[in-house]
Amino acid sequence: MKPKIAFFDMASCEGCQLAILDCEDIFLHILDLVEIVEFREALSETAPRFDIAFVEGSIHREMDAERLRSIRARCDWLVSLGACAYNGNVQARSNALAPGENMLRVYGPEAYHRTQTDPHYWPLWAHSRVRPLSQVVAVDYHLRGCPVDREEFLQLLKRRIAGALPRVAAQAVCVECKRAGNECVFEHGDTCLGPVTWAGCNAVCIGGGYRCDGCRGLLPGANLAAHRELLREHGLSEAEIDNRYRLFCAEEVAEATA
Amino acid sequence: MTSFLANEQALEDWLRRQAERHEVYWPQRMGKASYAFQRLRRRSPLRLDRLDDAPASKPFRASACVVPPGRLLAPMQELLYRFEPDDDGGYRFIPCLDPTERLIAGIRPCDLKAIHLMDAVNAEGVPDAHYLTRRAHTTLIASNCLQPCDAHCFCEAAGSLDWREGADVFLTPQADGQQLVECLTPRGEALCADAGFSPCDAPEERRQSAEAHRPQPFGRQFDAPLVKVMAAVDETWDSPVWDKHVERCFSCGTCNLVCPTCYCFDMRDDLDIEHPGCGSRSRCADGCMLPEFAEVAGGHNFRATPAARQRHRVKRKLAYLPTQFADGSFCVGCGRCGHQCTVDIDIFDIANDLAAASEAPHAADD
Ligand code: SF4
Ligand code: SF4
Repeated sequence: MKPKIAFFDMASCEGCQLAILDCEDIFLHILDLVEIVEFREALSETAPRFDIAFVEGSIHREMDAERLRSIRARCDWLVSLGACAYNGNVQARSNALAPGENMLRVYGPEAYHRTQTDPHYWPLWAHSRVRPLSQVVAVDYHLRGCPVDREEFLQLLKRRIAGALPRVAAQAVCVECKRAGNECVFEHGDTCLGPVTWAGCNAVCIGGGYRCDGCRGLLPGANLAAHRELLREHGLSEAEIDNRYRLFCAEEVAEATA
Repeated sequence: MTSFLANEQALEDWLRRQAERHEVYWPQRMGKASYAFQRLRRRSPLRLDRLDDAPASKPFRASACVVPPGRLLAPMQELLYRFEPDDDGGYRFIPCLDPTERLIAGIRPCDLKAIHLMDAVNAEGVPDAHYLTRRAHTTLIASNCLQPCDAHCFCEAAGSLDWREGADVFLTPQADGQQLVECLTPRGEALCADAGFSPCDAPEERRQSAEAHRPQPFGRQFDAPLVKVMAAVDETWDSPVWDKHVERCFSCGTCNLVCPTCYCFDMRDDLDIEHPGCGSRSRCADGCMLPEFAEVAGGHNFRATPAARQRHRVKRKLAYLPTQFADGSFCVGCGRCGHQCTVDIDIFDIANDLAAASEAPHAADD
């Protein structure tokens, strides 16, 4: 029997699911391997159980956490799909602010004061803390990146069905930059998060003439002290450096420097 | 072996004519301050060395050429073979060998020596058919160095400035604006036979009088002779020098991946999604500075710290491989690792510090 797979989204732009739908050219071959039983972006059906759940998005409210727990209970294997699910992505920047201040900024003073006095009032989407999936349930595998890389998704699917797993090396983007023969961003005067960021993207942004902003997350054991010093030497202020880290790695940098 | 003199235009025309028949590679500007060995196309600029080139006007520099020319023989990533089911319930393996005729020109002596060393490495033990097939179909044209490439260069100290072995044709710019064209192999002879260059009967003197224009010393020099530096690297195991040079290290592997004598690779199997049961095996360049390089099943890591990895890298270049093969240092002094490292960690400084520490053992830890 073909494994059943399902896709879900929490707080996200749903771009990772679109990246998967972008497999159009080989989608029929994928359907020879697996049966997709739930996928809001492409199907109206829902399913009680499935083998692999791909979950996009971060967890902001308790009701999302509950939904995630129920997905976890219905699958054998759960994969975080993309940066929001993996590390909270840009949303996690708001964790640097006190929840009350966050609410004040987003919903304004009136709503803020009402939450202080009206026990039945809570703005629909307001959250207190942004959590990656792994802070709520056990996650079996991570597909990093903003958005995920379609090749990496296919590798995972093929391997999992063959009873194995792809090897995702814990190494810096610099590795893929060198393999691609790119000129280092520091060589042409800009600054780059590549030395402290998980590879796996084939250094696509640098190859395209930009720099690495770290969307695949902070590499375990990254030498942040040396990287901060390097950015400083290249003219960035402390505040600019914090901002660069917080863009995609807010939650991880907070943990690494706690 | 025959030698010729050719004026710049004739040599350029000749190279461009080769490009009509084969893949010709020439170091070309890339990005803001780098070079890449790329196919010579009709409109690609081509500028030969001149005797009076100031260091800043040297037309291509080894350490700024991110990917060394030897990678045309051992690509950063390559398909090794494909497999498919056969009729007896087994598998058929189809090797992917690449017999394209290539001509790589503009190779500096340091990178030439590196290719010579990689020839030995790839022929040893189980011969690497992928490398050797490409190598058999590749012609090498090297360019003499009369100026150090830049502040990173230490080829003379590493013993590769005068390396010529392995080149089919060796070019040296002359005072009269011509180029000395020395054919060093039958392949080089054949290539130049109908080039229309004028014969030269005193190539040795011609080359030496050009080399007399080299600055003295040429590039960075170790504080001790190379043999002493290599002995110090060989003999040093525990030393604060290893730690000193990794404080800022990212374990990013750049120093390995740009090195012309790093050849480790990682392999990966792939299954075709369109053709069930079929697939391929490929490899990509790997590096011993990467944290997981020496990790084995069960999670044990033989070199878990950056300092242990740095020691291994430096010893491979200056002690282990030179012992296994007979051609001296495997660090050819191209200066790439120091140049391309974002935090300026340089094997030259490490080796120099080790030599100094072994001269004055008691001064080592202050
Ligand atoms: S551009 Fe960025 S990722 Fe690439 S080598 Fe330089 S620092 Fe590393
Ligand atoms: S290039 Fe520099 S930072 Fe990267 S592994 Fe080598 S020494 Fe360390």
